[in-house]
Amino acid sequence: MDFTELTHHFTLYGNFLIYGLSFIALLAGLLGGANFFSAAPVGQKYCRYTLYGANILFLLGLGLISWMHYHIYVELPLILPDSLSTWLNQQLSAMNAQADYTLPLYDTNSPPRYAIPVWIENEKYFFWFMSYSIMAQVTYNRLKNHRIQGALLLLLTIQIGIMAVFANPFQNPLPKFFAEISPWFQGGLQPMEQLGLFMKLYPKMIFYYNASYMWMHPPMLFFSYAAITMTFVTSSFMLVNRELEVEILGYDCAKFGYFMLTLGMLLGYPWALKAWGPNWWWDPKICSSIMMWAIYSTYLHTRLYANKKSMWYFTSILGILCFLAMVFTFVSSFFFPGEHTFQ
Amino acid sequence: MDNQDSTKRASYDFYLILATAVVLAIISAICIYGMFYFQQAQIQDMHPLVKARYMNTMNLVISPFTICLILLIGICVPKRFLPMKMLNWFTLALLVLLGVITYFYGIIMALKINLMLGMVLQFFVLCLAVIGNKHLHFEKKGYWVRVGSSAIHLGIILFILDLFYYKHQTLHLVLFWVTTVATTVGMLCCFYSEAFANLIKKRRWGKSLCLTAQEKR
Repeated sequence: MDFTELTHHFTLYGNFLIYGLSFIALLAGLLGGANFFSAAPVGQKYCRYTLYGANILFLLGLGLISWMHYHIYVELPLILPDSLSTWLNQQLSAMNAQADYTLPLYDTNSPPRYAIPVWIENEKYFFWFMSYSIMAQVTYNRLKNHRIQGALLLLLTIQIGIMAVFANPFQNPLPKFFAEISPWFQGGLQPMEQLGLFMKLYPKMIFYYNASYMWMHPPMLFFSYAAITMTFVTSSFMLVNRELEVEILGYDCAKFGYFMLTLGMLLGYPWALKAWGPNWWWDPKICSSIMMWAIYSTYLHTRLYANKKSMWYFTSILGILCFLAMVFTFVSSFFFPGEHTFQ
Repeated sequence: MDNQDSTKRASYDFYLILATAVVLAIISAICIYGMFYFQQAQIQDMHPLVKARYMNTMNLVISPFTICLILLIGICVPKRFLPMKMLNWFTLALLVLLGVITYFYGIIMALKINLMLGMVLQFFVLCLAVIGNKHLHFEKKGYWVRVGSSAIHLGIILFILDLFYYKHQTLHLVLFWVTTVATTVGMLCCFYSEAFANLIKKRRWGKSLCLTAQEKR
């Protein structure tokens, strides 16, 4: 089976969306820069429209990604011949009797299908930056400080730029996933080869792509990353000016971010035990995530004493440190080996 | 006297928070060290036994600070309801008790007992917060903030306790889900206390309006 038919329209429409987002990023960069550096607000109405435009395009893109995932679900089931499925189920039953976490038996009437969430591979950047864009819109409407509004737009420009240049989810959709499943759909496999490949694809489908935790753990972390970026902006401004309104906004974002981060990390714990067993402890990504959570917890605790001058600045520095820890945690997935690696 | 006690308590709270922050910072530093060591030593390509040895070494390195953190939890919990003088005595008694248990049964047992004691006391604090006890000591005021904060801390204690029992699947999952629910409810109550208070107020107001309308009829 050739996947080009499946991905052709996706890539075509998706690239139009990326062009649109790039244009919006350019506008956001100009307007953001003008507001950030000037003493008075510039083009406030257009700034708002730019954010609305970005969010509409992001939501359209999310719809397009969901559409492709729906097609993957419908068109790419892992079908085995009846003669193999009986033998396979005997093997699965024997394996399940000894395992802590079991694999469902193969059902010939309903063969296993990929129900993949919309935040794997490059799509995760799309989802993450969309979360940021929506939060930037809410924050923008709440604040009067044009410099902060400018900073929010500038960060949006950077994020869309990174996505368009390095991680466009539409250009080459789900390369790792399609590479994994292509031998199966190319056909021509001997029965035992087919069975061997099935036993490679099926556990990954159950414990990774279709895992219920996959639907909760990553999006919560991306929401928290977006909120941490907001806290970074407010914390940086808090170092310059002691404005209570900015501090309250930063705290509101931090509360949401911490809620998502804690819940997301918690939900990753039973998933990791299920998918990897107990040998993931001290994995680099786990280490850096714990570090980030520890800094975030400290930020929320010291914030209780932000009325003291020294603690105000200390809290602001922690807010910035938290963002740096988040960037470090994410980037570490590329450079440090381990279970979470993107290498 | 009351003022003096509350000033002492505030500074006691402040130092406890600072101590927690310091321990968390050290744990963070060890985590960073673990990351670079993992990469330098290429642990992922090693034999599972080597990987297990690495995990044991790291557990050993971090254990004093984890013990400190667990002890801090044990000390932090009763500060909500005990007066200052008793709090010092309680801390001393706890340390002596844990020392004795460590001597006879080992550090793991001592930590588990500390956590279980913390869990019982924290549950007691949560109950007091739920019934609206005025004598609880919190840095922040407000019914929902207190309920939420108590639930979050109960969740954290349960989570650490769960780490001891991950090999017992059923117990692990029960502890995990109680942890998750307590932490989630706690964070919602604590972070969005005003929304909760307004919601309850609106409900009460709606009910009283209904009652007035019925009385008029």
